[in-house]
Amino acid sequence: MQLRGRKQIAAVGGAVAVALLAACSSSTTSAPPAATGTGTGGATSGSTSAALSGTLNGSGSTFQANFQAAAIQSFKSVQSGMTVNYGGGGSGKGRTDLASGVVNFAGSDSPIPSKEADNFKGKTILYFPVLIGPITLAYNLSGVSTLKLDAPTIAGIFEGKIKTWDDPAIKALNSGVSLPSTSITTAVRSDSSGTTQNFSLFLMEAAPSVWTLGSSSIITWPSTARAASGNSGVAQVIKSTSGAIGYVDYSTAHTAGLSTAEVKNKDGNYVAPSPESASAAAAGTTVATDLTFHAVWAPGAQAYPITYQSWDLVNQSQSANNAAMLKAYLGYLLGPGQQILPTLGYAPLPASIDTSAKAQLDKIGM
Amino acid sequence: MAVTAQPQAGPQKVDLREPPSWRRTKNRIMTWLMILAFVLTVIPLGFVFATVIAKGASVISWSFLTSGIPPAFSPAGVGGMGPAILGTLEITALATVIAVPLGILGAIYINEYGGKGLLSNFIRFMADVMTGVPSIVMGLFIYTIFTLHFGYSGLGGALALACLMLPIVIRSTEEMLKLVPDELRQGSYALGATKSRVTVTVVLPAAVGGIVSGCLLAVARAAGETAPLLFTILTVTSVNWNVFSGANTSLATQIFSNATQIYPGAQARGWGAALTLVAIAFIFMIIARLVTARFARYQN
Amino acid sequence: MSTVTKADSAAPAESAHPLAQRRPLGDRGFAILALASGLLVLVILVLIAVSTSQQASAWFSAEGLKIFTNNWNPANNQFGALAFIYGTAITAAIAVIIAVPVSIGIALLLTEVVPRRWARPIVYVVDLLAVVPSVVWGLWGILVLAPWLQHIYASIASGVHGIPVLENLFGGSNISGASFFTAGLILAFMITPIVTSLSREVIATTSTIDKQGAYALGATRWEMIRGVVWPHSQGGVVGAVLLGLGRAMGETIAAALVIGSSATITSHLFYPGYNMPAVIANQFGEASGTFRAALMGLGVLLFAFTIIINVIARGIVERSARRARGA
Repeated sequence: MQLRGRKQIAAVGGAVAVALLAACSSSTTSAPPAATGTGTGGATSGSTSAALSGTLNGSGSTFQANFQAAAIQSFKSVQSGMTVNYGGGGSGKGRTDLASGVVNFAGSDSPIPSKEADNFKGKTILYFPVLIGPITLAYNLSGVSTLKLDAPTIAGIFEGKIKTWDDPAIKALNSGVSLPSTSITTAVRSDSSGTTQNFSLFLMEAAPSVWTLGSSSIITWPSTARAASGNSGVAQVIKSTSGAIGYVDYSTAHTAGLSTAEVKNKDGNYVAPSPESASAAAAGTTVATDLTFHAVWAPGAQAYPITYQSWDLVNQSQSANNAAMLKAYLGYLLGPGQQILPTLGYAPLPASIDTSAKAQLDKIGM
Repeated sequence: MAVTAQPQAGPQKVDLREPPSWRRTKNRIMTWLMILAFVLTVIPLGFVFATVIAKGASVISWSFLTSGIPPAFSPAGVGGMGPAILGTLEITALATVIAVPLGILGAIYINEYGGKGLLSNFIRFMADVMTGVPSIVMGLFIYTIFTLHFGYSGLGGALALACLMLPIVIRSTEEMLKLVPDELRQGSYALGATKSRVTVTVVLPAAVGGIVSGCLLAVARAAGETAPLLFTILTVTSVNWNVFSGANTSLATQIFSNATQIYPGAQARGWGAALTLVAIAFIFMIIARLVTARFARYQN
Repeated sequence: MSTVTKADSAAPAESAHPLAQRRPLGDRGFAILALASGLLVLVILVLIAVSTSQQASAWFSAEGLKIFTNNWNPANNQFGALAFIYGTAITAAIAVIIAVPVSIGIALLLTEVVPRRWARPIVYVVDLLAVVPSVVWGLWGILVLAPWLQHIYASIASGVHGIPVLENLFGGSNISGASFFTAGLILAFMITPIVTSLSREVIATTSTIDKQGAYALGATRWEMIRGVVWPHSQGGVVGAVLLGLGRAMGETIAAALVIGSSATITSHLFYPGYNMPAVIANQFGEASGTFRAALMGLGVLLFAFTIIINVIARGIVERSARRARGA
């Protein structure tokens, strides 16, 4: 062989390195079977579940992002052998990833819309509601600490028809407050978002005569709107632009220290967004058999009118180990996880919904 | 200048200076404009470095470099970028292992075997063109042929980065090989060596300093790339030692996602990651220059 | 080694095979390996074109020529991409307009003005611009530069209020730190090192004799540059500028973070905008079906534009280099 010496050594060294790296590949994901998964029916919250190992990947709703991040961390003490990743990216991304099979669960603030239904042909998707929370109208206006808005006015603002803060429509709702003549900059989502979907659904139901842009996870906003990605991005725009107003989930707005408006609810009262007013809104909703529901524009004296919800979507057919891991993690979210919610700015699920969701856990992997 | 034929009666003072004119002023203005151009370059550079160092240094610590990535809303002192650093190192290393041998072999073909032939000229030209292909197109390409079939993994990211590095390695290696004097090759042929032997045992070692330096610069460029990784690794926050399977993360993509976060803690960690990334690229650049200075036998 | 002695021997035509075919297997194998690696470049380029076009075909067939209309409305399955093409062109143009005078100025400074000793440190400083990764430019851009620029833009906008052409460019009511101009500015910072180094390479090939001749005739340095250096280098510099343009068009992450994410066509440079690589980066994750095909298609368009520009640029550079060598 002519190729002696240095090249041979390099070739052997390279082969050894590759072999070593390949040998490490056994340590993660689906290969090892679960040790006696959780067979007994019903709730899995903490009851004698054997130690599981593997990786669960999820992506989707940024509304859930803070909850997922906190739950993943505290879940480590329950199942130290499992790694859970949640990638965010917006409800649309989560559904797309789930359809193409790159994630085990998807966070989505709305059920699968009809135009995406084709992507899930042949698969049964289970909906697991995990949390409730308010969508706030967060704003940046110095000197104005309380702001009251109703659905028609909000619709006018986001359609670009109401352009300045001292517009008569806003003045009419805020008699005691002196509003400057600053022009309004609306902050909206550029990515496919469940928050957008629910916000626009609220405007469609509460101000049908004024709102013309429909309800969808991507909306074609007027060109004056400032777009950003994720609830976080919108909050950033609001925070850095004087005179800005946008729709942001409560958890993000609260942590970012933004002022939020009180919104007029179905009963005619102006309610501020909070976990309590969100729970009030969710209390009266009717839930379908597949556990989908929507809490926007709900009746109730203390209900916050733009309350929404988020699900974790899961494909019903799973390998044995993945099914066990999903049951363990989702069970955690529905059980001890619900206790973390108020500290993060969300509202826990109403008890009846929580129980139904836990019962549905058995269906995974069937 | 008046040069008269009069006899010199004592020292005559003749003014030999060129009279002030618009030409000289214009020349001076242009010189100052060129200096201004340089200053205009230094200002944003200084601005960026100052910000990255100031904001990043307050976050960097040993625990920052080794801790896991915490939830976005965690305050600034919590957690760190350990998984991202690991991801960057392992993905870039894999990309280097793929791109460098192929690039060196390609350059060997162009310079040693192809010479002035049509094919090698065409390949050289296309390699130059390929250096201009946007990195996001490489990411889409690997997404289409690899990620769609095999899922997210560090390997996909490494393939995309390797596509970016390949033309750079080819061109810089070829430049170095061109500099090796032909006499060395002729001498080896005269001793009866085959072409491959000559190339591997004589030409490559002669050019190795320059080749290594060129590769280091390509690696530095790859370590900082974000777009090719966006579609191939699915930025997660957990540690993944296995670069061949499972979603991964990297400093560059982590900075990208932290840049849009509202939480000051996430932004602070973003600055810390930025400082780490700039430091890595800077170190590679310094090493490349040192290698060139000490080991490159033949330089431009 | 034995082949050499065999050829020397007096035996007539003892082997029907020419020397090349008697090469040992390892040597031929190496040659094939090298050829394959060289061809890899071509294979990859072809594969990129084919695979991405295939993925994008759904978009081309659904929209046809309507892809060049300004009608980007994913909710209604409309994907006219003119706004992004416009945004790419505008930001690249701004980047080139800002970067080219600066880069040529530095190149001239390095080759004509400063003493040899100072050239290397200056080159190092300019190369430091290239050390900063794209995402760090974007991070600094959106968190530091954009908020600061917003105030400056607002002052400029109120300053040009009422002046006809300037107001359309620099005025308006939707002033944002994250805008076409900010993106163009950051792209300018990013392409300066490459345009500078390529221009410098070209300018450095000017023959010293010609330069000395100009000085001998009494030219000032600027006159020498204009009369000798520039005619000699203009082809190469144009090529360098085109390469910078190609780079600016394709730069993704920095643009994605600071361009403002608003798909509009407007003459106001301080308004938020969008360009092709930015929309692909921001929206690819969540797109499916025709939406994804549309984003792939934008990638194909971007690939085509940059390849064309690069081919033209390299052609110009090569031709002027050949002319400089006296061919």
